[in-house]
Amino acid sequence: MVALDLPPALVPQFPRRDGPARAGLADTGRAAQPLVLARDRVLAVPGGLGALLPVAGVQRGTVVAIDGALGSGATSITLELAAAATRVGEWAVVVDPDGTLGGLAAGEAGIALDRFAVVRGVPPARWATVVAALLDGVTVVATAIPRSVRPSDARRLVARARERSAVLVAVGAWPVEAALRIHADGVSWSRPVDGPALLGARAFRVSVSGRGVATRAPVEVLARVG
Amino acid sequence: MEPSRAVRSCTVWCPDWPVVAWRQGRDELRDVPVAVLGRGIVRAASAEARAEQVTVGLRRREAEARCPGLVLLDTDARAEARVFEAVARAVEELTPRLELEEPGRLTFPTRGPSRYFGGDDPLIARVREQVHAVGVADVRIGIADGRFPARLAARRNVVVPPGGSTAFCAPWPVGSLRIPDLTDLLIRLGLRTLGAFAALPGPAVLARFGEEGARAHRWAQGLDDRPVVLAVPPPDLVETAELDPPADRVDIVAFAGKGLADRLLARLDARGLACSRVVIEAETEHGEHLVRRWRHEGALTPAALAERVRWQLDGWLTSEGHLSGGLTLLRLAPDEIVPATGRQLGFWGGDQAAADQAERALARVQGMLGPDSVVVVVPQGGRTPTERVRWVSWGEPREPSRDVGARWPGAIPGPAPARVFDPPYPAELLDGHGRPVTVSARGEAGAEPVTLRCPALPAGGGRIEASVGPWPHVLRWWDRATRRRCASWQVIVGGVACLVTLEGGVALLTAVYD
Repeated sequence: MVALDLPPALVPQFPRRDGPARAGLADTGRAAQPLVLARDRVLAVPGGLGALLPVAGVQRGTVVAIDGALGSGATSITLELAAAATRVGEWAVVVDPDGTLGGLAAGEAGIALDRFAVVRGVPPARWATVVAALLDGVTVVATAIPRSVRPSDARRLVARARERSAVLVAVGAWPVEAALRIHADGVSWSRPVDGPALLGARAFRVSVSGRGVATRAPVEVLARVG
Repeated sequence: MEPSRAVRSCTVWCPDWPVVAWRQGRDELRDVPVAVLGRGIVRAASAEARAEQVTVGLRRREAEARCPGLVLLDTDARAEARVFEAVARAVEELTPRLELEEPGRLTFPTRGPSRYFGGDDPLIARVREQVHAVGVADVRIGIADGRFPARLAARRNVVVPPGGSTAFCAPWPVGSLRIPDLTDLLIRLGLRTLGAFAALPGPAVLARFGEEGARAHRWAQGLDDRPVVLAVPPPDLVETAELDPPADRVDIVAFAGKGLADRLLARLDARGLACSRVVIEAETEHGEHLVRRWRHEGALTPAALAERVRWQLDGWLTSEGHLSGGLTLLRLAPDEIVPATGRQLGFWGGDQAAADQAERALARVQGMLGPDSVVVVVPQGGRTPTERVRWVSWGEPREPSRDVGARWPGAIPGPAPARVFDPPYPAELLDGHGRPVTVSARGEAGAEPVTLRCPALPAGGGRIEASVGPWPHVLRWWDRATRRRCASWQVIVGGVACLVTLEGGVALLTAVYD
């Protein structure tokens, strides 16, 4: 067999058909490897929100505090963080004592609904125990903070999240330190080009502060269209 | 392995049971074409609907096209089980050893009752009389050697003579096995009748089709499943739960039953066993003792077992005049124990350890707060954000009530709102003159909305910056009692986009696009 030294332009390029199989193999290899690098301790958050965060994601084992008035976009940001967990095959749970979370919005935010659950009807006295139980098994626990939360309970939850490498997303007034604080400042809506509908693309105004982030003025983040 | 001698059984089958269950107590559904849907596909159709060519397996739209006046209803498994409990009790007066297979079908061995009533035909006449007395007009009864031939015999309402089961089963098509994947494969291989399938050598079928194929092969030959390993289960395999205080609500007892079901199957699994029949027993606070046997083809999975426990509890607790008090004890005992054939766990993809940990955490929270506290989202068809989501308790089967893929004209467009208020907040939607906005019967707005006031909004609402609407809906138009007419607007107030609904002259804040 004679080896042909063809110039690169003439080497026949056959399309590879094993792309998805190779990607699956690489995923399995990553999941099975015993050593965890520092960069793997980050839960990657895709999209415009991730671009605002240091390390383009959230460090596992930390607390993210989100606050904002009703209608300012805080819930959508919470759902995007939950979607970051289900995207990589892990689980996310939202603790929603008022029972007002819109389920369809969870699906539209990119959350895989078979790895997502909502806990409703939590009495304030048992809130800390419930969140601690959830942090044991789930990667992202997003919860509305009850008004009567004690700083000692909050600190215990921070320790629990660190121990379990889970992410606690606290929506509301978080009394103790948080690695990341996201303030939702409002949403601006633009009408879609076709049809009489009102709500088309939306842009969230968000400001991020915390470890590794210089406090900036609210930044526009373009979100999903339509 | 020598084939077991098949037990001569009788199957009592009520065709189109979902329709019969819906018609109980609802006179307006009699003599009307009715079809019951499950997952968007017709599961059962009444005789009037079948006359219009509506058959099982059609999609919703096709069924509506074939029969314009068709009333479409959703599957209500609990009502089916509850109504069938009356039939089961009626047949139980003749023989105590009956087994329920699913709502609509039950089986019992005929050796004792047949001898008592003087033959198979007198037995059938007595059973028919009992079932008619409960109010079920259409019932088919069949007797044959073995459960599967008895099921086929019930479809034709015949008695197969002893020893004639193999010949009886032979001309039936392979579709009657009710295993779709295997049936497709057999048809492609050219085996269209059970006789042709039964003629294949047993070891070859086991090698090619696996355990399930081997079981279907035994059925096609007119034999029962493999002989059981243990006739009497050892006492430590019986799971009991005591309920204190006595519970008469189905969901409380069903939650305890689910725990028992999981524990029982875990114990059996640990010993390499599975059970295909389970005995559900309960005791009330006044000492009444209730027993029922449920059977499942092959081995029971935890979900199937929990579902059957729930059906049975529905049947006991919600039928009137049967129980005098709440339940104090619930017991599950495995009845026919067979060696477990194991499950092949997925190797690629799906992090099973993470799923197990999450499931344990959620089950623990359910234990702390009650079964309805942990819910999952099941998207379904509908027009409003409230209609388009079904919240199902963790552990219950995730079935949408309405087909997602169907078109829903008049649905509210745009993204889904992140906060949906149920019950909605009262609000005021005012026009330019400060008067409340009204909607005519044809769905046209009396005036353009200018102000929205609601205590839940930041700054209590204010001037509307932009709005679009109204989208009129009539919910449940076919049911005079629960018909509701409402109209929705999407409005932007102070930068906050929300959904306002006007119903009966009252404005409500239904959702906020947070």
